[in-house]
Amino acid sequence: MSRQIQNIPASSNKSIVQRLGGQNVVVFLIVVALFGFFCIVSPNFRRYSTILSILDYSYYITLIAIGVTFPLITGGVDLSIGTGLICYSLIGGYLVVYQGWPVWIGMIVCVLCGAIIGFINGFLVGTMNLPPFLATLCTMMMTRGLGSICSTGLGIPWPTAGTEGGWFRTIFKLNIGDMKLPLGFLWILLLTALMSFVLNHTKVGRYIIAIGSNKEATRLSGINTKYIYIAAYVISGTFAGLASIAYSAIFASVYPGTGAGFELEGIGGAIIGGVSMTGGVGSITGTLLGVFVICILKTGLPFIGLQANWQQIITGIVLITAVLIDLSRNVKGTKSITTAFKKR
Amino acid sequence: MGEIILTMKGIDKTFPGVHALDNVDFELCRGEVHALMGENGAGKSTLMKVLTGIYKKDKGTIIYDGKTVEFTNPREAQQAGIVIVHQELNMLGHLTVAQNIFIGREFMKGIRIDDERMNVEAARLFKRLNINIDPTEKMSNLTVGKQQMCEIAKAISHEAKIIVFDEPTAALTESEVNELFEIIRDLKKKDIGIIYITHRMDEIKLITDRVSVMRDGAYVGTLISKDSTKNDIVNMMVGRVIYEEPKTESKVAEDAPVVLKVEGLNAGKLVRDVSFELHKGEILGFSGLMGAGRTETAKAIIGADPKESGDIYVNGKKVEINTPEDAVKCGIGYLSEDRKRYGLMLQRNVAENSTITFLENFMKGIFIDNKKENNETEKYIESLAIKTPGIDQLIINLSGGNQQKVILTKWLVRNCDILIFDEPTRGIDVGAKSDIYKLMNELVKEGKSIIMISSELPEILRMSDRIIVMCEGRKSGELRIEEASQEKIMHLATLRN
Amino acid sequence: MYRIRQSPLVKKIGFNRIVLFLVLLAMYCFFAVFAKNFVSYNRLLSAMNYAYFLGFLSLGVTFVIATGGIDFSIGPVMFCAAIMSGYLLTHYHWPLWLCLISSVVIGMLYGTLNGYLVAYKSVPSFITSMAIMQISKGVASVFTKAQSVSWPQLVQENGWYRNLIKTRVGNTYIPVGMIILLTTAIICAIVLNKTKMGRYLLSLGSNKEAVWLSGVNVKKWEMIAYIICGTLAGIAAIFFVAAYTTVQPGYGDQYNNEAIAGCVMGGTSMGGGLASIGGTFIGVMIISILQEGILAIGLNKNYQLVITGIIVIVAVYLDVISRQKRN
Repeated sequence: MSRQIQNIPASSNKSIVQRLGGQNVVVFLIVVALFGFFCIVSPNFRRYSTILSILDYSYYITLIAIGVTFPLITGGVDLSIGTGLICYSLIGGYLVVYQGWPVWIGMIVCVLCGAIIGFINGFLVGTMNLPPFLATLCTMMMTRGLGSICSTGLGIPWPTAGTEGGWFRTIFKLNIGDMKLPLGFLWILLLTALMSFVLNHTKVGRYIIAIGSNKEATRLSGINTKYIYIAAYVISGTFAGLASIAYSAIFASVYPGTGAGFELEGIGGAIIGGVSMTGGVGSITGTLLGVFVICILKTGLPFIGLQANWQQIITGIVLITAVLIDLSRNVKGTKSITTAFKKR
Repeated sequence: MGEIILTMKGIDKTFPGVHALDNVDFELCRGEVHALMGENGAGKSTLMKVLTGIYKKDKGTIIYDGKTVEFTNPREAQQAGIVIVHQELNMLGHLTVAQNIFIGREFMKGIRIDDERMNVEAARLFKRLNINIDPTEKMSNLTVGKQQMCEIAKAISHEAKIIVFDEPTAALTESEVNELFEIIRDLKKKDIGIIYITHRMDEIKLITDRVSVMRDGAYVGTLISKDSTKNDIVNMMVGRVIYEEPKTESKVAEDAPVVLKVEGLNAGKLVRDVSFELHKGEILGFSGLMGAGRTETAKAIIGADPKESGDIYVNGKKVEINTPEDAVKCGIGYLSEDRKRYGLMLQRNVAENSTITFLENFMKGIFIDNKKENNETEKYIESLAIKTPGIDQLIINLSGGNQQKVILTKWLVRNCDILIFDEPTRGIDVGAKSDIYKLMNELVKEGKSIIMISSELPEILRMSDRIIVMCEGRKSGELRIEEASQEKIMHLATLRN
Repeated sequence: MYRIRQSPLVKKIGFNRIVLFLVLLAMYCFFAVFAKNFVSYNRLLSAMNYAYFLGFLSLGVTFVIATGGIDFSIGPVMFCAAIMSGYLLTHYHWPLWLCLISSVVIGMLYGTLNGYLVAYKSVPSFITSMAIMQISKGVASVFTKAQSVSWPQLVQENGWYRNLIKTRVGNTYIPVGMIILLTTAIICAIVLNKTKMGRYLLSLGSNKEAVWLSGVNVKKWEMIAYIICGTLAGIAAIFFVAAYTTVQPGYGDQYNNEAIAGCVMGGTSMGGGLASIGGTFIGVMIISILQEGILAIGLNKNYQLVITGIIVIVAVYLDVISRQKRN
């Protein structure tokens, strides 16, 4: 005989289920709306070359955004991804351009450096219990200096398309005859699907969400949170390494001292896409969509006469708005039943 | 009731300044529901924490399933089959029910977590227990009652032989309580031993087989539930030394003016249409079970929580209180129940903690008059008998009782005439308790008025001139001290509408 | 060792500060030995160029950290203030004194925005400061149409502001900047430790909820901490251009980390409630000497970045451990 448990009000049922699926739909609509807006307002915007442009500049941001989603879901953050990606590109690029190493090894070095810094971040946060923003702030500083030191202060021009070694650029931009194909987007989609799988269907992803939801309860369930933190930040670092390859492939040269601010676009994209700063919530598809909001803004604003500098201002405003929305969402969400227990 | 599965003998545990467990015995049989009762601070939770390895005992033995054991962490205890269903649920709100139950021991298909199989297993588990919950539902979507049932299901899935319930019905509705009891009866049939910690007398006869009582860290005795009376249990819980005898008559003058009047206060689920009056020189006790809404009422009055409706009158005049700042300006001071979280600035010293409510009073031009501050604080240190090596001592180094006195100091420094004490003697040793009671009596003699929220019945009966009892957000009754008794209060505290 | 810690003199000055001072001395000696011509008055003045603007930034952020918050926007805000007020000078020909004031006002406005969002809108401080960091970079860029701005030299018209750093008397230079910085530090210390505002800031940093329940308008005071920080960043801008002349839009980040590092090294706790102006001062000196010394040895600025990063990690780790012990 099964008891009839009193019914949960249908509305609250829907609102959470709809949240992640629903949130993605909302962001997708915003992407479409923004794109439509710029198309209508500026005839020059409506060109294939513009779409290519949007995509080209989106690769490195999307990659760091996908990566940083993982530390964000644990309730932390990774600020080193911006200067980090420049650093890894400089290190790998230096070996390729000035030491004559083959490009494919240079690419591996990029990713490896990212993973190592990611490991350091994970250790600082998970084992030494430093606050994540401070720990990654320090690695941000250090990668800024490191990149410059390794490249001896020079800008690094990775091999251009057409030269020996320039093949790596075609990973992202494939030219077949007259057709220019944004191949990079395909990889992004594949990686999105892959990391989505990792987040939702592997132990690592599951425990990352668990830590973000309730660190103490996760610990008490016998899970070694130290390893999970390291995993989350290594993922972030590795993707920063991948992003460094994308960046090198799109831009002619990489200069030390740049990169500060990229992390904001990555984190902003993730938050717009539904990742909560308090942890426990997030989807990779959402992050992808969120990044596109920022990329379309970035590319589109110059078309309506606003200089690129406004993009920084807009990014800042968008970030605050996204967080304010996230906060108000959370206030509703955490009026949850467990708080009833805390009342006397 | 089957054979004995657990024997705890001579358990002793001391923390700095507190003898938490004093040679305690406890026994549990298979298929038995054994209640563990006692006032707040009696040692029930501590005993369970020793059992499950959260605390290490100083002395004594634990024999479980025929073997002597000593667990060093809750996971060990869990693996051995002893599980606690906590009051504050330890759950992962963002994950689904099935994911919560199997956290840490997921079914895998290669590197992929087999969520489908987890859902099936969870459903099977729920069927065994006759619970109707959707395993794919997100934990945070469920009501408290259902979350608790998931927690129970999780315990069963660990092949638990002993389940400890810590105040399980505190936040449940009546129908949820019935469902819980059905499940417990099922568990009994499966020969699982259940330790049931509760404050609620009426549950004893309904669901328990035996009841053991603790008092002040010591084991008092065990009764068979169906043969015992409420009086028997209350006597064991409460039997005390003389200085705790209840007040027999109110000390408040017949014509004492009303200093605080609250009318129709509504603030969320736990404050529904609350109205009462506080007279000058009166100690008004607020009694009720946990979850009754007493703290919420206080916080709504002082503006710490938003209120939906309600009027507040101070000394006959209507006042607008929207923030604690307003309340303080009206002369209402609130001593919160969680000292560390809401009462103390831990990094600062005694003097700074004492004057934060009224810094304007200690200024010399734009500078703080440290000398005046210190002098004033010294005065109170002496008159309240606060034990501290020095004024500049960091407050974190003081004992609980002395910390409480410092918090009281800051409201006296402000000259608040209306004081709301929320669980004033929680976590405070016997000696300091009596000091605080003495202080409260002196304060009302000087003309101040006190609202005292307390879960300790002897305290309520000893100190109050009048008692208001709340239940599930509503005022369920009001008693004058002359007519009050533990039974009457308990009756009103469990009087659900 | 324990007895040294307990002695009254040590307690008065603060054990941490003494250790820090010794670190400073040790570092100076290290560079004196390994770098050429390190020990000279001119070298010291050069190092101080770095210390002045960094010092004002650090003093400002000390107030914010004392309330338990953080501010990453101080570097870019300083730059934005320097750029905008410099542009007013070079392109709109405003009088110099007005430009100096506008630099301070610009910093104050950013601080107000930051403080409002944190105190009244409950946005986490590190989010608002990162957002304002971006906004200020963008505003600076828009204002000057992405060009850098160069402030006048000493010998030029309007160059007298450079005397704020050092002024020539006969054959020697008087470090005016140090005098101003020290005075400001002393004022900050008095405000933090002896005034009502300072008491409220430290108290709310320790336990915001408890202070709120005690009837204090915590929102107002929390916002004021950020206003102070922004204003001091605006002042820092003046000292930056007095030493380094040219400012480019879009930069300024690295000074954030060093300012925060100086503060945390000095004993101000990231958890809020504990702050030391004196410690901040010494921390800033350490970073400045480090910066100068590394240049003197022949390594470039990037090594200093890496080393400072490591130092901050160590400092914060010690802070985390000591807080764990305290709780």
